[in-house]
Amino acid sequence: MDALTAEGLTRRFGEKTALSRLSLALEQGSVFGFLGPNGAGKTTTVKLFTGLLTPTEGSCSVLGLDPRREAEKVHAQCGVLTESARMYPHLSGLENLAFFGALCGLSRAGARERGEELLKRLGLAEAGKLPAGKYSTGMAQRLSLARALLGRPRVLFLDEPTSGLDPESAQAVNAMIGEQAGQEGVTVFLCTHQLRYAQDLCGSYGVIDHGELLALGGLEDLAARAGCRTYAAFRLAEGETLPGFERDGAWLRRAISSEDEMPGLLREAVAAGRCVYEARIEPPTLEDVYFRFVGRGEGGETV
Amino acid sequence: MKAVRLSAKERAIVRKDLRGIWKTRMVRLTVILVPVLLCFAMPAFYLFLAWMVPETELEGTRELAAMLPAAAEGLSERQLMVVMISRLLGPMFFLMIPLMVSTASAACSFVGERENGTMETLLLAPVSLRQIFRAKVTACLLLSLITELVSLLAFSAVMAAASLLFEVPYYLDWSWAVLILLLSPGVTLFGVTFMVLISGRSKSSMEAMQTSGYLVLPVVLLFVGQLSGAFTLGPGLLLVLSLAVAAADAVLASLASRAFTPEKLLRA
Ligand SMILES: Nc1ncnc2c1ncn2[C@@H]1O[C@H](COP(=O)(O)OP(=O)(O)OP(=O)(O)O)[C@@H](O)[C@H]1O
Ligand SMILES: [Mg+2]
Repeated sequence: MDALTAEGLTRRFGEKTALSRLSLALEQGSVFGFLGPNGAGKTTTVKLFTGLLTPTEGSCSVLGLDPRREAEKVHAQCGVLTESARMYPHLSGLENLAFFGALCGLSRAGARERGEELLKRLGLAEAGKLPAGKYSTGMAQRLSLARALLGRPRVLFLDEPTSGLDPESAQAVNAMIGEQAGQEGVTVFLCTHQLRYAQDLCGSYGVIDHGELLALGGLEDLAARAGCRTYAAFRLAEGETLPGFERDGAWLRRAISSEDEMPGLLREAVAAGRCVYEARIEPPTLEDVYFRFVGRGEGGETV
Repeated sequence: MKAVRLSAKERAIVRKDLRGIWKTRMVRLTVILVPVLLCFAMPAFYLFLAWMVPETELEGTRELAAMLPAAAEGLSERQLMVVMISRLLGPMFFLMIPLMVSTASAACSFVGERENGTMETLLLAPVSLRQIFRAKVTACLLLSLITELVSLLAFSAVMAAASLLFEVPYYLDWSWAVLILLLSPGVTLFGVTFMVLISGRSKSSMEAMQTSGYLVLPVVLLFVGQLSGAFTLGPGLLLVLSLAVAAADAVLASLASRAFTPEKLLRA
């Protein structure tokens, strides 16, 4: 059974189509990066999968369950982090977790223990007694992540988990997500603008813009389809050139179709008497791929 | 309506809601001040006046009380003042208090939750919409019923003093029985369900509370209407009113639970 499926999933708000005919299937245990510019339809997709919105057309399922009709069962197996889901401002961080723990079916002592453990892991141990209303943005975001993890979810929806976080908090949050993603059978659906981080974490990606899914697949696959090449890059002594290479700042670069070309190129450069200071292979990054697809959607403009 | 025990999850929501409602100053003031003023301070003050002021200066009372059936019973001015409180003001208060407390707490519980941005979090928890609805309505009803009980005790104490001082029969009669046991709880449920229905259309809990203020109007009219002599709120009429309110409750409750969907609850 797939962790998530969508078939022709569409959501309109009046005239505006926020999501158009999304179809995808994610295996259990996959870590999926959902990428797209502001207003692309990422949050809308998460809300459809978690039953907060009803599809205008099409359908979706989470672990084989309909999120609208079986919301309770879906939520029992899902952890959801969205920007708009806040915690009770008058309750302390720990009391908030105790309350949501009770809703997850944990005993009073169990909820407390799990809450304390999560707060400690997210660097909030000392803030546990503070009312959540007094938390900074970053603290509130980490508390929300703790809340999403309370019930040991099998599917984790994370909508921009690190937006508004300082580098330390972002690191703590990313480490926690990485740990979840590494667990057997835990599926992660991650919406993010942090492409570097997504590249490290995710196994497959979806790129969406204006509600249309532009691409779906693993990085290599997407790179091939976007026409992003791997490059061999050399840094030589100043003024030196190599045939077939283009200059890019201090580096000379040339597209290669396989890494196996590299040793040969290096030998040639040395044989030609060039002073090679540095040599490296530059595989396409998620950033390259992303801008190819999103740029194409904008009518060919590339960044 | 069948009484079903609340599940552990529902009880957790009830506890959380009662705490949240109590933390809201506006509601805390309503729950404490309104009953104290209406059911204790005001009747006590009137009785104190009746006791202190010479009977000859209470002529206005007779004119007002002339509208009441009790006027014919040959009571003194002082006794008439007690009767006015027990038959005219008291019943009005015991409809206004349930209405005010139930709408204030429901505004807090339903609209306030959306204002805080916590409704979405609650909807994402593994509880059904039905459970959330039931728990929230229960919390509001519980708070209102407790307030009514405390008000009733305070009012009864004042009226006990009155019946001793002025030698009038104790205030409790069949009208009061219908009022307290049927009409007040019915009005409480009305306030809660009405608030759930308008919660989707109100931007803030303050706005929702103001809108619900209109509900007090019919109550006041009902009692002012008595002074015109058009009707008397006896047990029969109160019973009919209770049935009408119960019918309205059933309609509102079904409408409210139907309007209780994630999209309507989260609509900004
Ligand atoms: N409740 C709503 N009513 C009307 N339009 C909406 C609503 N929610 C979203 N939209 C519109 O749908 C589109 C997609 O919004 P969505 O929030 O899914 O974008 P997003 O990809 O999450 O963007 P961001 O990266 O800024 O979070 C936007 O154009 C937005 O204006
Ligand atoms: Mg978003």
